Amino acid sequence: MLRTTLSALALALLGWWSAAWITQNFQAWTAEGARRLVVIEQPVAVPKVALTGPGLVDADLHTWLSGAGRATIVDFVYTRCPTVCTTLGSGFQQLQHALAKETTDGVKLLSISFDPTHDDASSLQQYATQWLADPNRWAIATVRDADQLQGLLKAFQVVVIDDGRGGYDHNAALLVLDGRGRLVRIFDDTELELALNYARSIAQQGASE
Amino acid sequence: MTSIRRAGSRGARWRTAAVLLLLSLMLLPTVRRMTESSMTAHMLIQYPCLMLVGALLVKKLPTRWLSGAQRWNELGITGLVGSALALSVLMVPRVLDLALVDARVEVLKLVALGAAGAALRLSWRRAGMVVQAFFLGNMLPMTIVVGTLYQDSAARVCNAYRLDDQQALGLALIVIAIVAAALWLLHVATRRTGNSATYPRDQDVVHAALRQPQRGP
Repeated sequence: MLRTTLSALALALLGWWSAAWITQNFQAWTAEGARRLVVIEQPVAVPKVALTGPGLVDADLHTWLSGAGRATIVDFVYTRCPTVCTTLGSGFQQLQHALAKETTDGVKLLSISFDPTHDDASSLQQYATQWLADPNRWAIATVRDADQLQGLLKAFQVVVIDDGRGGYDHNAALLVLDGRGRLVRIFDDTELELALNYARSIAQQGASE
Repeated sequence: MTSIRRAGSRGARWRTAAVLLLLSLMLLPTVRRMTESSMTAHMLIQYPCLMLVGALLVKKLPTRWLSGAQRWNELGITGLVGSALALSVLMVPRVLDLALVDARVEVLKLVALGAAGAALRLSWRRAGMVVQAFFLGNMLPMTIVVGTLYQDSAARVCNAYRLDDQQALGLALIVIAIVAAALWLLHVATRRTGNSATYPRDQDVVHAALRQPQRGP
């Protein structure tokens, strides 16, 4: 019985260890939870991506994000999206409204479409018009080269799947990027206030550095 | 035993070939992508198939190895603890997502499933009713909790799978747990009556055997 007890204990330890590894020490049970947790400790640098969209001609994403006192709240969308992106759209509209009262323009908004085949210049412009996006605050863009898209989505763990109804399901969230072009925090698409305050605080930090 | 094996050796060889075929089929990249394209198929087709392969292949190991291993597995406790833990970890939603993008997790998952099937096969009969009840008493409520969570959650727990898929899996897990509990209880009930019927007869035989030599001289 001693041998059985010992081997069962060894397996219990192995099970505990693997569960701790999978759940980030029992803090995250889903991939989305883990993504948000990990980024806090290990910011993710944006890969090399060229953006295109209304008012953005071949803008390098890293360059566009960079600057002392800058912070950007990014979301990933597709313009035909009937569900979660309308939450994101109206959320960004509220953020834009809140930012309009500010004197500095450190915090910017960026919506990136993960559907470059459908979302051409006119679709993006239409989306901007629909949500009354102010081009100085809120840029709407997609990748210029479709083959750079996967690298960007993978780096930020944005997962896009077929929703079975001709559209996409995706893990919508508010991604906060700092003035060095790094993803530093991820908020729920409903946590507008938190995301905005966090973006403001890192923009201020960046400005004083 | 050996004569039985020899007599059925052709059938046994066919069975082994069929199991190996199932294994290579499940590992084939196309089939893996297919089974892993849906959350329900991932958990309810791939998981059980690999466990089945593990359970069928483990008996092909040399008897000496198996009896050696069983000395570390009294009452099937080690095997049942190990498979319960493996299956619990493999039910964490993050595992399903990670297995799709991290080759290490995918390999560990496939190995753990085969091992869990093998451990269950080697341990189930040895365990007896009490240990079996303890195993199921942990696993089935957990499965129902996970199933309820998958079914009721308004948010997707896996980034790679759709909500309707997740809800279908949740319902299926609950049904499976209830059916498994019912089958086990039925099994216990029928075995019990079987025992009470045979037990006195065995005893009579033993008593008769003991009495006989005393009567002789």
